[in-house]
Amino acid sequence: MSESLREILDLQLFWEFRTVLLRGLAVNFYVFIAAAVLALSLGLGAALLRNSRAAPLRWLGTLHVEIFRNAPDYVMVVWVHFVLPLLIGVVLHSRFEFNPFVSAMIALGFVYSGYFAETFRAGIEAIPAGHLEAARSLGIGEGLILRRIILPQVVRSMLPESINQFISLFKATTIVSLIAVPDLMYQVSMITQQQMRPLPLYTGAAITYFVIVLVAGSSLRVLADRWRARIRA
Amino acid sequence: MIRVVDVHKRFGTLEVLKGVSFDVHRGSVVSMIGASGSGKSTLLRCINHLEVPSAGDIFVDGESLCFRGAADGDRRPRSLAEINRIRRDLGIVFQQFNLWPHMTVLGNVTEAPQRVRGMSRKAAIELGEACLDRVHLRDKAHEYPARLSGGQQQRVAIARALAMQPKVMLFDEPTSSLDPELTDEVLAVMRELAEDGTTMIVVTHEMGFARDVSDQVMFLHNGLIEEEGPPAQLFGAPRSERLRQFVSKHVA
Repeated sequence: MSESLREILDLQLFWEFRTVLLRGLAVNFYVFIAAAVLALSLGLGAALLRNSRAAPLRWLGTLHVEIFRNAPDYVMVVWVHFVLPLLIGVVLHSRFEFNPFVSAMIALGFVYSGYFAETFRAGIEAIPAGHLEAARSLGIGEGLILRRIILPQVVRSMLPESINQFISLFKATTIVSLIAVPDLMYQVSMITQQQMRPLPLYTGAAITYFVIVLVAGSSLRVLADRWRARIRA
Repeated sequence: MIRVVDVHKRFGTLEVLKGVSFDVHRGSVVSMIGASGSGKSTLLRCINHLEVPSAGDIFVDGESLCFRGAADGDRRPRSLAEINRIRRDLGIVFQQFNLWPHMTVLGNVTEAPQRVRGMSRKAAIELGEACLDRVHLRDKAHEYPARLSGGQQQRVAIARALAMQPKVMLFDEPTSSLDPELTDEVLAVMRELAEDGTTMIVVTHEMGFARDVSDQVMFLHNGLIEEEGPPAQLFGAPRSERLRQFVSKHVA
């Protein structure tokens, strides 16, 4: 085996720095969870706006979806971290900065809210009008209908698609090292600079992400299918 | 108990109901028959306020469904909360069952008593099981609707409406989307309800049911009541030519 190939496949360095790297991976998960919560809430809000009876509200929902669904993750992360604070600073007449973690959460949360809004909307529109009429005819209020009749069905129907989106979002968390969020990739580049041996660390990171996404993705799909099977004919 | 006064309903330029009035007394069974497009389903949906009449009003035990205080001349439309309060007393069963697929049979039946009437879980379950008994499906309480036949689903839908202990039960073509062999089990349950003294308004194409079970039959045509009376009279001696044709076509 050539020297360089051995260098690529030698994961000893990766193992040596496992605690630091694991801490980095934990940061990926924090960013993922924070952004996912934000994306789901904003996405549901935008979907409800797009289904609203008032036209201006519908436009607002559409605007939200189109802006964020069409914004590249990378650009949004950089823009939110470096440009948005300046704009806010101008409005507030003072210096303003986001913690990198907060910028990452906002940027990814907003981008993915555009995708989740469309998934929510498809799920809401798939519910037969009769289910809602039946609820209304029993005197169930609109808030309760949303919480008890619409959302539980939407969550089930949007699961397969949202698992894919969660996976994309998780993969997208690897770009937050750009704004110095200390995630796995950030740690990898730090150690690389120290050790002057880039290859094994990048291979290790690639394998780590691959295994996590594969295992989490397929087990979520199995769980989702089992849960959904109950209510299907 | 239910008084319908000169109800009109317009969809755009199409006038589906052109001024319909009638009374339904406590404990009586009224069947509405007529060709499709005659306005009978729209009329029934107006009684549950799923459709809002364009003109006229409907009274439930003297209380206006459409306006806040018809007695003192307050003609402002009712708020959704008020409509929902009145709706509790008006159970409706749809052609398409409309069970909530993510809840068990018992969950479907106990949802409104718990969330709308504010009953405790325990009391709602007791009531729900009693209602499932009335449609002979207590043993299916923990199944999901997808596991039931159409006839069973429709009986659950009846139990769901009964669980609100409504003053009147409305049926909107309850057997029209069922296979013939499943129709009878639903009609049998409806007969039992009628015998128990439930006030019922039934839109139906089942002439046998209308003839044998109703106290009063209304024949609608083009958004108007063309003829009404006891079933023996309507089916035995129809006065209008249209009803005569309808009866000869639909009653074997």
